[in-house]
Amino acid sequence: MSRALQWIAIVVVAALALLPFLPGAVDAYYFSFLFFVFLYAVMAQSWNLVAGYGGQISLGSHAFFGLGAYTTAILWSGNYLWGSLYDAYPGIYYFDPVTMLLGGLVAALAAVLIGLPLLSKLHGDYFALGTLGFGEIVKVLFVNGGDFTGGAFGIVAPASSFDTLRPHYWVGLGLMVGTALAIRALMRSRYGLALIAVRDDEMAASANGIDILKVKVAAFAGSAFIAGVAGSLYTYYIFHVGPDSVFHLDWMLLPLMMTVVGGTGTLLGPILGALVMYAVFDLARIVVPDYHPVISGLTIILAMLFLPKGLTRLGVMRRLKSA
Amino acid sequence: MFNLPPPDILFQLSLNGALGGAMYGVAAVGLSLIFGTMRLIFLAQGAMIILAAYFVRALFYGLGIDPFLSLLIVVPVGLGVGWLIYQGLFRKAAAEEDRNVSLLIAVGLMFLVQNLMTVVWGGNTAGVVTSYTASGIELFGVRTSFTRSMGFLIALAGTGLVMLFLRKTIVGKAVRAASEDMDSAMLMGISPHRVNAIAFAIGIALAGAAGVAVATTFPFNPFAGFIFSLKALVALALGGIGNVTGALAGGILLGLIEAYVQYFISGGWTNAIAYGVFLLVLMFKPEGLFSRPYKKA
Repeated sequence: MSRALQWIAIVVVAALALLPFLPGAVDAYYFSFLFFVFLYAVMAQSWNLVAGYGGQISLGSHAFFGLGAYTTAILWSGNYLWGSLYDAYPGIYYFDPVTMLLGGLVAALAAVLIGLPLLSKLHGDYFALGTLGFGEIVKVLFVNGGDFTGGAFGIVAPASSFDTLRPHYWVGLGLMVGTALAIRALMRSRYGLALIAVRDDEMAASANGIDILKVKVAAFAGSAFIAGVAGSLYTYYIFHVGPDSVFHLDWMLLPLMMTVVGGTGTLLGPILGALVMYAVFDLARIVVPDYHPVISGLTIILAMLFLPKGLTRLGVMRRLKSA
Repeated sequence: MFNLPPPDILFQLSLNGALGGAMYGVAAVGLSLIFGTMRLIFLAQGAMIILAAYFVRALFYGLGIDPFLSLLIVVPVGLGVGWLIYQGLFRKAAAEEDRNVSLLIAVGLMFLVQNLMTVVWGGNTAGVVTSYTASGIELFGVRTSFTRSMGFLIALAGTGLVMLFLRKTIVGKAVRAASEDMDSAMLMGISPHRVNAIAFAIGIALAGAAGVAVATTFPFNPFAGFIFSLKALVALALGGIGNVTGALAGGILLGLIEAYVQYFISGGWTNAIAYGVFLLVLMFKPEGLFSRPYKKA
């Protein structure tokens, strides 16, 4: 990234971080809009890590998102973590970093367990199909999980903790910036180079001593971790976690779409894609409420027909990067 | 562990499973053709089936055309629509190295079709009720629904025609050659756009035929298609990706698995077990259950 782009990024992030102090901002429509852009940008980064940089098209992001969301809701509503401290501090689970981290870790663990057999055996489309099947299995497991998962209804977390959208906004912004920085650092490390090498030519990478399976599984697990933490954040927003909401296929399809529209395998692509696509969807929802999913479908098709390489590879962006 | 039910119930169960599964099979044959030449998972196939079902319903209630007779309209329309979809939407993306682009166009098409159906026909469950919807026929001493049996026949006939086309005609041979090895096929002078368009046309025509079967058998709504796409994918993997008869057999097998799981275990686990089998087959027998190594259909 060029210096000019770096300065733009710093100024934009600082402005976004200060926005909640603006009078009336918290109650404004654009505030929740921005929160969702952050959330989708994190999910898009998660998909971009394994598919864009790693070249392994995963169609199971919604499973990891849902695992993170459920982990948070289960720990919280069942008070599995803090015991008697919960009675003293009723707000202890609300935006608790340990609970959020565990949400990511559970998702990452599931990714390792399923990734080892899938990635050692399956390539390309077969891996994509396998992850799709995995997502459906996880969903059925949670529907049939009895009291532990709340069955088809799901789990309701103590919604009384909600006070303002500010913490959601800041945590969302922090996660978006944090994942972008982490992925940037990662892609500049030995590991990132190995990941790119595996994507571009597996045979050559293997011949140069890279453990292909290890690299792929690590990318898959890292992607799942990010998705799990995003799911955890969503629990704090929605409070009711059910199989049809957090395991909804949209949590895989929309981030995938945003990444491709923004530019796969680029750092800014997922963020730009999340902003543009979510704006299109939300605008359509407000302006033509009856037809908005039709407009969304049309937008995807048009974007793919005319911008198959993504927004970040447009001429304007290229000039900015080299400036 | 299980008490085996009496043979007549077992037979009834198998028959119902096989008849229902044939519909997954015919959807899978379409997916298989499109995947064969374009290496594209056409997720919108289920939505196209439901669209065809609504079309059949409109023909029946609007013009009084019998659903099974409407095959004569739906299938040619499907051929044309499939050809148009390829030329309009996928032609450019097919040349693209990045196959996410085609996958996303398919997803966009799915959103578009699903929601256009909701706008035109509403989101409620719809169905086609004819004078023979409730009637049954006697088959090997077991009663079964007439419409389901017709659906099965449509699936068999559709797959048979596709097989004949692929084996006996020069164009069909070109499609087969392209699915085995597109690069060599191009060196032999086969135009990729032409075989892709043909695969799409036949795939959507099969979706039309499946739409007739669905419309006469089940109640449906605009969003029922996606499950169909997923089930067709499972059938496709069971039968071996790129194997046309295998796809039909995979669909029937999936129908049987679902029927047995529903009866012996519980309806709630049907999907988990179906996808579990799917994963195991993908991992341990990715060429499908019905293919012998080094021999392609």
